[in-house]
Amino acid sequence: MSTNTAPPASFIWLSPFSFIRKRFQSWWQSRLPLTDTTTLTQRNVYILPTRPGFMLATTLLVLLVASINYQLNLGYLLTFLLAGSAVVGMHVCHGTLRGITMHLTPPEPQFVGVNAPLQVTIMSDRKSTRYGIGMSVLEAAHWSWTDVPAQGSATLQVAFRPVRRGLHALPALTAETRFPLGTFRVWTVWRPAAQVLVYPAPESFAPPLPPGEPRSGGAAAIQSQTTGEFDGVRAYRRGDPMKLVVWKKVAKAIASGSDELVSRDTQQAQRYELWLDFAQCGHVDTEHRLSRLCAWVVQADRQAVDYGLRMPGLEIRPGRGEAHKKRCLEALALC
Amino acid sequence: MSALLTRLNALPRDTRDTLFLLVVVAWVVMPQVNNLPWWCTGLTAGVLLWRARLAWTSSPLPGRWWLLGTLAVTIVATLITHKTVLGRDAGVTLIVVLVALKTMELRARRDAFVIFFLSFFTMLTNFFFSQSLLTAAAMLVALLGLLTALVNAHMPVGKPPLWHAAKIAGGMALLGAPVMAVMFVLFPRVGPLWGIPGDAMSGRSGLSASMRVGNIASLALDDTIAMRIKFESTVPRQNQLYFRGPVFSRFDGREWRPLRLQGPNLRNQLPSNLRVAGEPVKYEITLEPTNRPWLFVMDAAARAPDAANYTVAMTSELQWLTDRPVTDILRYKAESYTDFTFGSPRSALQEYIELPAGFNPRTAELAAKMRDDNYGKDAIGMATAALQRLRDGGYLYTLEPGTYGENTADEFWFDRKEGFCEHIASAFVILMRNMGIPARVVTGYQGGERNGVDGFWVVRQSDAHAWAEIWQQGRGWVRVDPTAAVSPGRIGSLQRLQLPQGVIASAIGSVSPDLAASLRAGWEALNNGWNQWVLNYTQSRQLNLLKDIGFESPSWEDLSYVLIGLIVFVSLCGAAWTLWERSRHDPWLRLLWHARRELHKAGLDVPATTPPRQMANAATERFGAAAAALRDWLLRLEALRYAPPGRQAGSLASLQRDFKQLAWPKAGPQRTVPRT
Repeated sequence: MSTNTAPPASFIWLSPFSFIRKRFQSWWQSRLPLTDTTTLTQRNVYILPTRPGFMLATTLLVLLVASINYQLNLGYLLTFLLAGSAVVGMHVCHGTLRGITMHLTPPEPQFVGVNAPLQVTIMSDRKSTRYGIGMSVLEAAHWSWTDVPAQGSATLQVAFRPVRRGLHALPALTAETRFPLGTFRVWTVWRPAAQVLVYPAPESFAPPLPPGEPRSGGAAAIQSQTTGEFDGVRAYRRGDPMKLVVWKKVAKAIASGSDELVSRDTQQAQRYELWLDFAQCGHVDTEHRLSRLCAWVVQADRQAVDYGLRMPGLEIRPGRGEAHKKRCLEALALC
Repeated sequence: MSALLTRLNALPRDTRDTLFLLVVVAWVVMPQVNNLPWWCTGLTAGVLLWRARLAWTSSPLPGRWWLLGTLAVTIVATLITHKTVLGRDAGVTLIVVLVALKTMELRARRDAFVIFFLSFFTMLTNFFFSQSLLTAAAMLVALLGLLTALVNAHMPVGKPPLWHAAKIAGGMALLGAPVMAVMFVLFPRVGPLWGIPGDAMSGRSGLSASMRVGNIASLALDDTIAMRIKFESTVPRQNQLYFRGPVFSRFDGREWRPLRLQGPNLRNQLPSNLRVAGEPVKYEITLEPTNRPWLFVMDAAARAPDAANYTVAMTSELQWLTDRPVTDILRYKAESYTDFTFGSPRSALQEYIELPAGFNPRTAELAAKMRDDNYGKDAIGMATAALQRLRDGGYLYTLEPGTYGENTADEFWFDRKEGFCEHIASAFVILMRNMGIPARVVTGYQGGERNGVDGFWVVRQSDAHAWAEIWQQGRGWVRVDPTAAVSPGRIGSLQRLQLPQGVIASAIGSVSPDLAASLRAGWEALNNGWNQWVLNYTQSRQLNLLKDIGFESPSWEDLSYVLIGLIVFVSLCGAAWTLWERSRHDPWLRLLWHARRELHKAGLDVPATTPPRQMANAATERFGAAAAALRDWLLRLEALRYAPPGRQAGSLASLQRDFKQLAWPKAGPQRTVPRT
């Protein structure tokens, strides 16, 4: 699955170089192996001078010309010592990345539009610290930086914001360093093999949960008989008397950061159960429906009520808990 | 003190880094202070201190208009001071102010880089004024400081201590030093690529091209070295060590000038009629840069001194000239004869008795009187009489004769009766000319001092001297040193006028004069080594080096070839090392790979990912009992890596040894049974 959208046909003629560059990059990236752990060697570490690098080169040239014109032997010494240090700096720069092992911890599923943190561990078996290693999603602006201690590891988090729901390949990551002189940029591009599951974005101001449906017979009826005294709960509706509010659950909900009120659903709980139905959530557009269902799942889970999910061709029996929520959200993500 | 240290340690990283950079920038600029206009020094110090204060208090930086305003003021002040914004001195002034002002604009990473690179250039400008060992050491510290700041700027995480960055910077410089050495030795030395501004070499002290009374006295305070001499034969007597410089024959009442302008044209010099006798004194001179086309040689050198890359010629006044100014340390060999006569034809002598009208009337009277007193004597006889007057007349040799007025000779002969060599020589020559004897002033260096550590003779600026030459009919020009008459100690021995000494030097000197002398000798020998091996490393020495390594007739192209060859060689070594490193697998894996290859030869192919035990099983299945030894070996190989510590069977070495003696099963007929 590619996140790149095909450029319009006129794009080629408007900026042919940019087009060729893009094509080259995508061809080149597609050649990179997919792996969650990668060790950087001479082969996959690239190096080019930076703008300050060219500035230094210019400085060296000016110093050399001044030394020649003014016949300063000490000027030659300065120029060549600086040049020698820059050459050594180039090797140090390349050595900073070469030899590290990067490992990506498989990411947790995320909602669309929320930053998914990718956790990368960088390991070094060198006997000295590696300074100033940065990581970022390829072509993203935000970098996170770390030093990797001698024969140790450091962990970095890189933010990745998925834009569509579903099972995504992770974007290519890039690691970079300009240590020690900033005159060279040494970088690598790495395509992790792990995939991230992206749930639909929960609707921002979703309507309250739908009313329960009358319980159909069979297994549910048996369950209600065995737990005769069971009281269900439901979202607070305007007009509910104060004594119906389940204050214990409200306190918990407030503690966990939401301020939703929960009411006791005395009689209905035994006769009704909550179904979140794709066909009956008000919108026409599929994505909007999924968004609303997603919001409802989150809401129902937060209120700790039993809920089931009905999708075209799929029905998840009512239940609650983390595993149930995950199953529902996965169904929403992948449908 | 400890409170300050604690405060320094507790500074936020930004503040600490900025302060460190300011210290380094100040250190880079510091050696320039003597050569900068006073306002530039003040402005730079003020800006740096203000910036330090801003950093310390974490205050905002001033706006752009403020900086542009200061820059405009600087340019105007530079124009006023130097009359230009181009050229060397104006450029140095501007660049120093620019570095200081740029620290006020330290906002983005780019600004920091600009400071670094400007500072590197400022370091080089130090060398315009001095290339001494001390300057080199100071600039090495400055380079390490700048590299440290640069490395520190690329440690984005946390607040690593500065010495971490310093260690890395030091390591880089240390590893860069061989590159420096090779490049320094082999980079072809060529002349200036284009003409450089006229002020490029000024500011170096030394004799000047004209003599105004008082010039040489200022040099007498200058203890820097003018040249070093290595005698290859016996050293002549001290009173023969006259190193000839410019000869002055035209006097305008105030200033002595040479007879002709010394152009770059070395031809058309009048013959000097030099005749020499006896054995020559052979020596080699290392001349400090003078920015003058003069080669100082001992009187009198009949053959051209052997100065690499210069064309030399002798004037009729016996001075040796080069085709262009000596802008760098120059080493040349020369041969001098202490026994010599020379003289231009009689017709050219009129110029040597001319005197400006209206100056020194009393000296003219004195001359007339002396001529009458010594009637019938020749020039030398007259001169002897004059010298006698110097000796007996209560004349004093002093560094501080005070300011002379209009009639310098009159004042010397009658009023002050004291002076430095130039007063004496000038007054003597004026007297001689008044007596009708052709005479002229010769400047140069007299004397020298042997350094006991390396055996070089050292001639200092304070050895600058002026003496006279008079024309003796039938003999030519004869040297007469009137200063010797006033102060016999000045010539012929090491006695010099004592200069005021620094506190430490005088302290050491008073405690132990020997220690002071030997310290000084050691230090100067070190400096001389520096000059000989580093500063005087010229193209000819490069080419000599090539000759030593086997080039027949080396040229600078050959130097480039050697350099390029060396670079290619090092690159190839690097590439080879990379290849070797890439192929350098784990020895255990390599052993397993060898085993797989042997099995392949025996007709059994196993995938590359097969572990030893699986390989052993496959071999047993295929070859049966014939593979028992192999199986045993493979299992030992497995145990070596995977068994808990203490239960491995044998070492890697023993496994490698056994591998060579392993009996490999022969390739049997291919199994035709299809796998089920």
